[in-house]
Amino acid sequence: MYSQDIELLLKSKKIKIGDRVSVIKDKLIYEGILMPRIELGDPSSLVVKLPNGYNIGIKYEKNTKIRLSERGRPIRFKPANVAIKKDPTKPTISILGCGGTIASRIEYTTGAVFPAFSPADLLLSFPELKDIANIKGKKLFDLLSEDMTPIHWQTIAEEVEKEIKSRADGIVLMHGTDTMHYTSAALSFMLQNLPVPVVLVGAQRSSDRGSSDNLVNLVSAVVAAKSDIAEVAVCMHGSMSDDFCYLHQGTKVRKLHSSRRDAFQSVNVLPFAKILYPEKRIEYLRTDYNKREKKTVKVDDRLNQNTGLVHIYPGIKPEFIDSLSKFYEGIVIAGTGLGHVPSNPFNDRFTKSLIPSLKNLIDSGIAVVIAPQTIFGRIDMNVYTAGRMLNEIGIIGNYCDWTPETALVKLMFVLGHTKDMKKIREMMLTNVAGEIGKRTVA
Amino acid sequence: MSEKINYKSLGLKCGLEIHQQLNTQNKLFCNCSTEMKEKIPVLIIKRKQHPVASELGEIDVTAQFEYLRDRTFHYQVFPNETCLVELDDEPPHNLNPEALHIALQIALLFNCQVPEEIHVMRKTVIDGSNTGGFQRTAIVGLNGYLKYKSKRIEITQISLEEDAAAIVEEKNGNVTYRLSRLGVPLVEIDTGLLIDYTPEEIQEIAYTIGIMCRSTSKTKSGIGSIRQDINVSIRKGARVEVKGVQELGLISKIIENEVKRQMSLKKVEEETRIVKLDGTTEFARPLPGANRMYPETDLEPIAIIKEYFESIEKSLPESWINKLERFKTILKLSDQLAREILESEYLNLFETIIKTKKVEASIVASTFTSIIKDLERREKVEISRIPEKMYSEIFEYIENKRIVKESISEIIKYLAAYPQNAVGDAVKELDLKPLSVNELKEIVNEVVSQPNMNFDKAVGIVMSKVRGKIDAQTVMNVVKSLMK
Repeated sequence: MYSQDIELLLKSKKIKIGDRVSVIKDKLIYEGILMPRIELGDPSSLVVKLPNGYNIGIKYEKNTKIRLSERGRPIRFKPANVAIKKDPTKPTISILGCGGTIASRIEYTTGAVFPAFSPADLLLSFPELKDIANIKGKKLFDLLSEDMTPIHWQTIAEEVEKEIKSRADGIVLMHGTDTMHYTSAALSFMLQNLPVPVVLVGAQRSSDRGSSDNLVNLVSAVVAAKSDIAEVAVCMHGSMSDDFCYLHQGTKVRKLHSSRRDAFQSVNVLPFAKILYPEKRIEYLRTDYNKREKKTVKVDDRLNQNTGLVHIYPGIKPEFIDSLSKFYEGIVIAGTGLGHVPSNPFNDRFTKSLIPSLKNLIDSGIAVVIAPQTIFGRIDMNVYTAGRMLNEIGIIGNYCDWTPETALVKLMFVLGHTKDMKKIREMMLTNVAGEIGKRTVA
Repeated sequence: MSEKINYKSLGLKCGLEIHQQLNTQNKLFCNCSTEMKEKIPVLIIKRKQHPVASELGEIDVTAQFEYLRDRTFHYQVFPNETCLVELDDEPPHNLNPEALHIALQIALLFNCQVPEEIHVMRKTVIDGSNTGGFQRTAIVGLNGYLKYKSKRIEITQISLEEDAAAIVEEKNGNVTYRLSRLGVPLVEIDTGLLIDYTPEEIQEIAYTIGIMCRSTSKTKSGIGSIRQDINVSIRKGARVEVKGVQELGLISKIIENEVKRQMSLKKVEEETRIVKLDGTTEFARPLPGANRMYPETDLEPIAIIKEYFESIEKSLPESWINKLERFKTILKLSDQLAREILESEYLNLFETIIKTKKVEASIVASTFTSIIKDLERREKVEISRIPEKMYSEIFEYIENKRIVKESISEIIKYLAAYPQNAVGDAVKELDLKPLSVNELKEIVNEVVSQPNMNFDKAVGIVMSKVRGKIDAQTVMNVVKSLMK
């Protein structure tokens, strides 16, 4: 948005974004298209796109004049015009959009990026898809993945159920990457008795660029959705090259890099499979997955959102832990190392033990679960004093190799089903969607 | 050959785009080194690129799709010179302030208007030379000019942009690029239409533009550091862009060849041609449209505030065009010597010595050009071993007439062998104390009194005895006068 002065001026001159204008300042005339002001930079500078495509900013001051030269054409996209024929020999894959612009088109006049979501748009952007499957497309919502909430997970679960019931042979969910592993964990618990694959996919590089990883990821995800791995999984780049993707188990995956294409990694397990991109071929790495078969999907979407996650760090205040009882019925502690918090067995005068605070929470009926902040590895509360003290006060999670995020989502799910502490403990410690592995892979 | 063609009547029009790399410490959008000296890649990343659906519609996308489907790009990663930014695996960091400073200096040297707010754009590129599929570029100057032979050459635009990756090879659709060059800052200088100039004059204009950039003394030198694109058209032809001319001396020949090519064709297509080693060109791709640009949304526009702008204006270096003129008129250097010293890495040292010592400028200039080059090339003298301050000392000796200019070469050789020693040591050990004319006369008399002597022989013998102690002209004069 421009400054109020500029907005008023444009209104009085009936000039709109996208119009061809001349801006006159200091005896110089700049001819070009008036561009929208993006959120960055000085709102009192007019942005003009010159005839050669470059933008420049001209500070709007008393001596600046602006004239309308030519009315611009309204900026919007014609929908893509691609003939779609259903090929009865190929499976049908439903692609559902949950946000993130994995597919989009650029409007070069303003540089605006439009999300593209109809099957025609998808096939225009990713022509390879039509050789692999019949594509259905549907936009659920347009959300930055960090804005996603458990309510959205419930919507996704319902929509996936609808698609499966309308005979999709596999589901692909386009999703922003930041919280994709929370959603994949949630769907792993909520979608039960899955007959077909449900594959989450995203892109680490924006879709406006020719180098975006969206193509390799999406094509690989569709290949995975055709496979017989009837599980919730995440399909993303396996390396920095465009050579293959990994198909990660939904409860055992985490984003581990802020920008690289291969940001997602399987934690403590092997990925289900490798999707070789150029060959569009799947290479299975495991056999312990639920196979595709005719059965009826069941959605259990009861979640308790009064659940929190706390990262332990040196100097953490016991009062902070005390205050959590105001907000939460269940808390995951991302403990240090094998699963520790400050416990001060040697009575150091600076250290403040969290044990009494945690004990109070547990005694007041709050479920407290522990997971390793190291991400990789397994909780073992028997090795050191701090662990033994935590175990003693009733922290849940000994020997679990879940990530803090998966533990959090599982706790939401479990607390959505029971308030009985004994039952909570039993459900938490029983593996339901591969979240607790028996063996940690080397 | 060229005199046979009347360019004026053919309606020759040219436009120049000069790309000059800047010698900054870091790249334009990350903190990698710009040295480009690493030889062995530590990693090779394989990538595909795909068309981006635009409002240009399906046909355009299909064409791009066909082209890109058959290509795999292999990117070589080098230590210190490549990070995740070049790999398109990390967003760009802020635009390098050192590069912006130099680019704005160049814009002002060409009398350009500088935008009040600089916007970095993405220019779509599909040949894989940019890992992201686009090149980042921003206007830093508009509507400038350059004086050439009292005429005004329009400089329509100057942009600051990232250099592309350098191609290593292309084999069966596998294209290999070195990532060390990707992201090195460069300025692109675009001229207006150059009408009524001969190919030789256009070459001279390109040279002048290059020289102007180098006024900042922050430009890279060497092969590939400056590259020219030339638009050529004649009245009956079409606009053809010849890209990537690395050698200045080829420009006039390329224009001449392109004019001949267009004259020989019935219909000329608008296209881009790549220059080959012999100055002829081959087809590369259709000319890209202007509508391939959109904003780089990962970067904030940069406001050029008044104080910053004025500080650049105030500290603007002397333009090399003026310097060249000054070297010729005030320092009385020949045109060739003036250009040579201007391009020499010793330019600053030359100027310091000229300012502080009363020595003929041509002696200092030729020391830093021909003498040093000869010693390096012919006698493999390691010039780089000599500390800079030694040169000031040498010219102080000359200023005080403690040595003659003929001894410079010998002293430099000595100092390269003994970098710890001083000029005085060289004078003593090589016995380079100047001879008086009387001392010379004694030697000459002895030589000419020998039997069967003639002038040339006598000069030769005397010179071998007095080389480096007195100038040759005096030797010849004395031999002549004493040989009766």
